[in-house]
Formats: sequence, structure tokens, C-alpha cells
Amino acid sequence: MTNLILDFRIALRSLFQHRRRTFFLMAAIASVTGLMVLLNALSTGISETMIRTATTLSSGHVNVGGFYKVTSSQCAPVVTDFAKVVKVVEGNVPEMQYWTHRGRGWAKIVSDTGSLQAGVTGIDIKKEPDFKRVVNVVSGSIEDLAQPKTIMLFQSQVERLKVRVGDAVTLSAQTNRGTANTMDCRIVAIAKDMGIMSKFSTFVPVEATRALYQLRPDTTGVIQLYLKPRYVSDLNEIAARLRKTLEQADYRVMDPDANPFWMKFQSVNREDWTGQKLDVTTWEDESSFLTKTLMIVDGLRVVLLIILIAIVVTGIMNTMWIAIRERTREIGTLRAIGMQRWGVLRVFLFESFQMGVLGTFAGALGGTLVALAINSAKIQVPLSVQLFLMSDRLHLAVHIAALAKASFTITLITTLAALYPAYRAARLPPVSAMSHFG
Amino acid sequence: MQRNRIAHVAAALLTTFVVPGIAQAATKQEMVDLLKAVDNRQRNQGDWRSVVYMEQKQKNKVDVAYEALVFRRSQDQKFIILFTKPKASQGQGYLRIDKNLWFYDPSVGKWERRTERERIGGTNSRRSDFDESRLAEEYDPEDNGVAKLGVYTAQVMTLKGKPGIDLAFPVIKLWVDKETKNVLKRQEFALSGRLLRTSYYPKWKKAYSESRKTEVWFPEEMRFYDEVEKANSTLILVRSVDMKPLEPNLFTKAWLESKSR
Repeated sequence: MTNLILDFRIALRSLFQHRRRTFFLMAAIASVTGLMVLLNALSTGISETMIRTATTLSSGHVNVGGFYKVTSSQCAPVVTDFAKVVKVVEGNVPEMQYWTHRGRGWAKIVSDTGSLQAGVTGIDIKKEPDFKRVVNVVSGSIEDLAQPKTIMLFQSQVERLKVRVGDAVTLSAQTNRGTANTMDCRIVAIAKDMGIMSKFSTFVPVEATRALYQLRPDTTGVIQLYLKPRYVSDLNEIAARLRKTLEQADYRVMDPDANPFWMKFQSVNREDWTGQKLDVTTWEDESSFLTKTLMIVDGLRVVLLIILIAIVVTGIMNTMWIAIRERTREIGTLRAIGMQRWGVLRVFLFESFQMGVLGTFAGALGGTLVALAINSAKIQVPLSVQLFLMSDRLHLAVHIAALAKASFTITLITTLAALYPAYRAARLPPVSAMSHFG
Repeated sequence: MQRNRIAHVAAALLTTFVVPGIAQAATKQEMVDLLKAVDNRQRNQGDWRSVVYMEQKQKNKVDVAYEALVFRRSQDQKFIILFTKPKASQGQGYLRIDKNLWFYDPSVGKWERRTERERIGGTNSRRSDFDESRLAEEYDPEDNGVAKLGVYTAQVMTLKGKPGIDLAFPVIKLWVDKETKNVLKRQEFALSGRLLRTSYYPKWKKAYSESRKTEVWFPEEMRFYDEVEKANSTLILVRSVDMKPLEPNLFTKAWLESKSR
């Protein structure tokens, strides 16, 4: 133990002795750590925004949706007699915090000057506490969505339709039996854009979707389950259990398919059945087309980090080689006065380890400060970037666990990078080392 | 002495609070009565048949003219517009039954349910422009005073749509000729306050109604100016008005479909 402490002190003194070299190496390690922290924060920020957006706009953590087929070739995203389904769900998902139900549809929205195609989601605003908290209303009142024949649009849609709060728009859609139907809705709220999903989402009272699609009052589009925070990572287990439970309760349940409901119309229409089938999905399934974005960002992050780490590892190994060459006589002397080979190895490893610890600490601190500065600056990103970031602003999420992970990884890599040079230093014969001139 | 004082105070209170209230209520009632009078002059309480000519002017587009037949029945508020010209629109039509407006296009052979905001034949007219006036039933009036409109002295009022009624325009500013009770001008707004359309009624005509046993007024010419797309306007001419009873089974989908076969 005393030897270990002694070796640790020798390594520390050596670092102080070669201040310039130590500074440059530590700066390199700090830069890589800082960059790793920032890239992690960006990726986590996108992921968190994506979950928040997806679970606000189009999905619960777990969803019980489904299709109703009047004929074998015509399906509609409808859950009939949903109160009974809710009873089954309530009894079998103790992880659930609350549930809500929403109408699902797709319509042409026509104003006096323009039109656009968008998803029409029917909500019961009184039962959507998270929705009210997450959606940022810039004009009107979200509470007015409780009134019949009202609609909430997003800023980009409003710009396209050239409308404002109080104006009327006409929703035009086909009912499940193929009849074209229309409905006038008054704009009661305009919300800030929330990335790509808000381009195709509009919200109306759930009764409005029923009226537009001529559905009975006991029908809905999807039952959305919101889980207690500690169970959010158990999505797939809960979904699998729910499938089994619903089957046991005599419901026909569709096979798991990790796609949003609107991507399933064609395949469901091809299937030869009529009546009701339920479909249990998670928020990841409902936004699977967006998680690809996250995968691309993650992939780029990994490639970039590998390159940076390779540069740092090469730098550390080179520096160590130089240090060993410079200190060959010193190593010989240490060996001559009784230091074992393991001792020499330890000294060089400790040097690298200490540089790693100090460098990553500085890097993590710097990265965190930059991330916080970016967040507080509320930087507005261009529209094309918004589509990927799922937000109109750059949001970086820094977590202690991620910082610790980044620091640990880089320290470990820098320590391991010194292993081979340290091993070579430890194997130097004391006599030849002492007589070395370099 | 005491009684006299109480009487004076009571009289003062009555004068201060109650009398203006009655006066205000009377003004509102007067507006409602005026609106009812406007409606009544146009109501024939029976069947109606007319030919309408529509001319639609649109920015950067060729002017289009339509000819259509209008049928309506006051009793159950049924209504049909059947386009007869041009050839491309022949057989197209609107049917209103059970307060639902349906559009039929023979080229696709399908019925589509439309709302009261529907632009008839793509023009700037709405279904209610061709129907009986039901302003008193559908709107609450508010007095805006008297104003001069050219040589006419007009009573101006703002009409706000009653809740639960499907209307083309939720707010209307109306100019009614004080002398004849004919509508001279309308400005139609969205609830946001945006002006959507301005309408003028330069020519009114009367025709004898069999069912009402009196003469009924109708606007022979209507001009609609789009206030959103400023260069767009529509001219409507109403001709050949006939108020004799129509066939009982006329207001059906089958009848309208049969006209394009």
C-alpha cells in the first residue's frame, strides 16, 4: 500500500515537472471529454424532446388502439366500446399513472385562402394535464378546446392557411363507410411548433372527430396509457403483458408491429377479417419513423468520438514514448535502488491515469457549462434543423450519469493507452538504462 | 311628509335604473322586430322555383358564368340548386334536407356532406344567399344607429349568430333601408373580426305568392365581393320566380341524380 502511494506521488511529481507536456495532453483529453459531453447532451436532448413530443402529440407511453373493419377491405382506426377495454387495462397495468383516450383521423383543412392535409386528433382537454403543460400556446386559449367544433393549430399551419384565432376552417374527410363529410371548426388556440410532428397534427374535441367520422359516442381512436416515471423503461414488457391480457379477455389482438398506426392501413386492409381488432403499441412504435433520426445522430456521434479518441490515444502513446526515452536513466536509477518492474509500470500508468482524471474533470465541467450556456441562450434553429431536432430551439440535456460515464470512459482509455509504453519501460534492464544517453 | 320622501326616492331610483333598462330593451326589441320584418317581406311560406345566373370573377382566371335552378320549400326548409350550365357543371347540385347540405357531382356519382360555409359552385356565394331570409331566427341583433348609404337612409345593425346554429358567417353587419325594409348591404365577418365578404343588394323585386296570398320581395340582383381574395367577386341574378307548389318528391337525392342521367 505504501509502495502504491509512493508510486502515485512519483507520478504526480513527474506530471508537475513536465508541466507543458502535461498541459497540452490534458487539454486534448479535456477537449475530447467536453465534446463527448456535448454530443451526448445533444443526442439525449433530441431523445428527450422526441419522447415528450411523441407522448404529447401522438401517443401515450403504451397505447391500446386498433382497427375496425366494416368490410374486409375498409378499415378505420377505431376502438369500439372503449370503456370495456379500459376496464381490462385498469385491472392489469398497475404501473399506469393515468389514461386518456383520443380520436384519430386524417382530414383536409380548408381556410378561405388555402388548405393542407393533417392528422386530426380528438382530445378531451380536461383529461390531458400533460398536454396542457407541454404545448406552448402563443395565441388563444387551450381550455376553449372543451367547446364543440373548435380546433387548435400550430404556427406553421396557421401561416400556411393565413388564419388567426376566431377564424373558421372546414375539415373535410371520408367517413368509415366512404361518405365525404365536412365540418366547420373555430380556431381557439395556436401553439408553437414542436418539430416535424406538429406539421401534421391538429387537435379538436373528441366529439368533433366522432361527428366528422360519424362514429358512436362509445367509440374512440386510441386509449393512451401514461406510466409512472420509474416504469417508463419497461414499455415493451408492459405492452407484451397487455396483449396477453386482452387476448385472455376475448379481444382479437394484432401481432406486434413497430410502426405508427397510419402506416398499417394498407396491410390491415389486405387482411381478410371484419369487426374489431386491438393493437397494442408503445410510443417508440408510434414514432419509429422518427427514431431513425436519433439513430443517425447517435451513429455520427460514435464515429466522431472514435476518431477523436484515436487521436488522443496516439498522442498519449507518443508522449509516453518520449517520456520513457527522456527518463530512461531515471528508470535505470529507480530500478537500481530497488524498484520492481511492476513499480515502474505503475508509475507510468498512474501518470496517465492522473492526466485522465484531471483532463476529463476539466472537460466535463467545460462541456456542462457550454451546454447550460446554449440552453439559456435559447438558440432558434432553422426549419430544416427543427425537423431533426424535434424542437424549434437547440436543447442539450446534461445528466450526471452521462458525465460520469464520459469521464470514466476517457480516463480508462487514456490509462490503457499508456499500458504498452509503461510495460516497455518496466522491461528495460537497469544497467543499460543507467548508461543510456539521449 | 315621510311618505312623500319615500315616494320621491322611489321615483328617483325608478328613473335612474329601471326606465333606461326598459328603453334599452325596447331598442333591442325594435331591432328584432325590424329583422323579423326583413325576413317576413321575403318569406312566401310555400314552394319556390327560380332561375339564377351567376358570374364569377377571379384574379388571373377567366370569368365563369353559371345557370342554375333553385327550388325550395319553406315548410321543412328543404332546398335544391341544380346547375344547368355550363356543360362541365351540368347535373351538379346541392340538396339541403334535415338541415344537412349535400353536394352531388354526377362525374363521380357520389354525395358529399358540406357545411354552410361551402362556396356554391366555387363562387363567392353561400347556400343561405339563395334561401329564404331567416335572420331573426339565426342571429341576435345589436343597434348600430342610422347611416346614409347613397340616397338611402339605412338602419345599421350588427348580427351575432345564435349558438348551436350552423351559419356561413357568425357575424354580419347589416344595412336595412328604413323606408322599404329591404337589405341594402351586408358585411360578413369571422369571429376573429376579419371581414370576409361584402354584399350589395342593388335591385329588389316582388312577386305574388299563392301560398301567402300576398306579394313577396326578393333580391333580383346580388353582388358579393371577396374581402380575403380582394380581386374576386360574384354577381347573382334571380329570374323567373315561380311560387306555385312543387312536386312532393322533388327534394330527394334520387331526383337530383335523375337530372344528370
